[in-house]
Amino acid sequence: MLTFIVDWLAYTPIFATPLLLATLGLILNERAGVLNLGAEGLFLCGALAAVVAYLATGGSPWLGMAAALAAGAAVSVLFAFLVVTLRADQVVTGITIAFFGSGLTALLGGAWMNKAVGGFTAVKLGFLSELPVVGKIVFAQDPMVYLTIPIVYLVWRFLFRTMPGLRLRAVGENPQAADAAGVSVDFYRSLAVIAGGALCGAAGGYVALAGAKIWFEDMTQGRGWIAIVLVIFARWMPGRAAFGALLFGSIEALIPRIFAAGIPVPQYFLQMTPFVATLIVLIYAALYSRARGAAPGALGLPYVREDRR
Amino acid sequence: MTSPAAAPSVEPRVRRFGRLNLEVRQSIPRWQHALYVILSIVAGIAISAAILLVAGVNLGGMYEEFILLTFFDRLGLSSVLIESSPLILVGLSAAMAFRVNYWNIGIEGQFFWGAIGATFISIYDIGPPGLRLYIMFALACAGGFGWALVPAFLKVRLNVNEVISTLLFSYIAFQVVLNQVYGPWQDPHERFPHSIKFDPVEQLPKIGWEKVHLGLFVGVALVAVMWWLVERSRFGAYARLVGSNARMALAAGVPVALIVFLSAGLSGALSGAAGFVMAAGQEFRLTATMAAGYAFSGIVIAFLARNHPLGVLVVAILIGGLYTAGQSIKGFYGVPEALVQLLQAVIVLCVAASQFFVSYRLRLARE
Repeated sequence: MLTFIVDWLAYTPIFATPLLLATLGLILNERAGVLNLGAEGLFLCGALAAVVAYLATGGSPWLGMAAALAAGAAVSVLFAFLVVTLRADQVVTGITIAFFGSGLTALLGGAWMNKAVGGFTAVKLGFLSELPVVGKIVFAQDPMVYLTIPIVYLVWRFLFRTMPGLRLRAVGENPQAADAAGVSVDFYRSLAVIAGGALCGAAGGYVALAGAKIWFEDMTQGRGWIAIVLVIFARWMPGRAAFGALLFGSIEALIPRIFAAGIPVPQYFLQMTPFVATLIVLIYAALYSRARGAAPGALGLPYVREDRR
Repeated sequence: MTSPAAAPSVEPRVRRFGRLNLEVRQSIPRWQHALYVILSIVAGIAISAAILLVAGVNLGGMYEEFILLTFFDRLGLSSVLIESSPLILVGLSAAMAFRVNYWNIGIEGQFFWGAIGATFISIYDIGPPGLRLYIMFALACAGGFGWALVPAFLKVRLNVNEVISTLLFSYIAFQVVLNQVYGPWQDPHERFPHSIKFDPVEQLPKIGWEKVHLGLFVGVALVAVMWWLVERSRFGAYARLVGSNARMALAAGVPVALIVFLSAGLSGALSGAAGFVMAAGQEFRLTATMAAGYAFSGIVIAFLARNHPLGVLVVAILIGGLYTAGQSIKGFYGVPEALVQLLQAVIVLCVAASQFFVSYRLRLARE
């Protein structure tokens, strides 16, 4: 039983890290007032870019992650142009970007399909990784897991302890007021969309390089949509996002562990659990207005100075 | 609004874009609106053509594949009509929901429940053979209806965001289908993930022209029903009020929650009907891949048709042409079928962008 739990918890970060990276990215988006429903597409673009860069450069996971960041940012430039500059409907555009990413990667990814990717390997932190129980869970993860911890802090620090972060939140909370104070709404929103999209791309890259270690069509299997719900769960706070990602990561990590342990549970019903859990979170957030009240005031609304509503 | 007397002294309220100002249009002539939409579709087609060029299909090949062999060829046109049958239904489904601003993204899940309902009747041979297809159709609609009602209930009661909840329901429905086609319903003679083939009496009859089946008539008949419902019935009038301004509709005494709830359920029933047409008209069984792409296509069709049932019919046939050409291109040029999804997305993004020119006017700034 103890081995089962240790194995389960040791596998949790591999599932939690991409959810956390994407949730942080989406928090940046939504704090600036932009609802990004295209996360799933950005995940896929990041995943393919990471695999292509990894295989083309002869096996550097860091170049893979850089390519994933760039791919997420590139698609987000298109999204930012549409929803920020052209003020297109964020729901229609976001959903379309999700399917755009899926179609684009399936079209381009044919040659890279089902090729083994070495990707990230676990780093054992000296004698710490030899500690019983804790060693395997905390001190023998891959480098991206460790790197994500300071990223959470940096996103929090940026949003809540710096002037540009304050401006970004103002733009999402009350763009009229921010505009009147001389903050460029379009600039901050575009910046937030592109930076957030880059993090979503990185999340997809991590799924390919550390989780699946392979590329296939629609490989991210709904994680982008789960991340969108995690933002609500986190009440738009980076710290709570880490907690939510670990919770959902542990649910996802449990599934392969249960198969590996040979526990007789209907496979496909087990695979529903992340989606059911996500649904429960959505309902919970709707039931308790405290969670809903945390949403940025201008979330999903395009801003036009002349338009008084 | 400023009074005319005060106007000269008031700065025009404009958004500066460097030297360009962004003004909100109060109104736009119909022809101009149409022009912008048509231009955006032309731009979308141009970008699509560029993507195809990169993928290795030259312009002559595109003309051949997308026009000549698709719409001016007996086999091609019959294939377009077959592809259109479920597309009309998912387009109607999305349009029904979007009319009341309910974003039903879970069309694939409702489609699957339609197919599961039809397959259930087929496997357990329920009802007399003469009525079998009708029972399958009814249970398919009921399956889609029921599956759509849960997120609809969550939306109207608890204000749960339906974009995500309907999608999550799709993922759950997909796992149910996998459970059936790899488990109790798997065809014992094959290793593929699909159920046993329907009996001939459970298959939609052909209309006698190539392989076109009655599913096309199901689609066209439901277009007529939906047209009546949205244009001529009290329900349609209420739905229009809810769609244009839900708060005002509520103030005017419209049962907003009920209208949204029923529209979402109706949308699910139409998706379920699409699942029935796919199962009984083309696949003749439940398969794990049969719903792939239909949620997005439904959204695309409803968006391009501006949620109008007759528009859905026209756009669905055009998208059916895209599907047909996509399969042909896959065969001849080895371009994956995902191309179809990408081209749909490109065209939607262009049309969504065109809304900018419809809503706003760009003017050179006056110093």
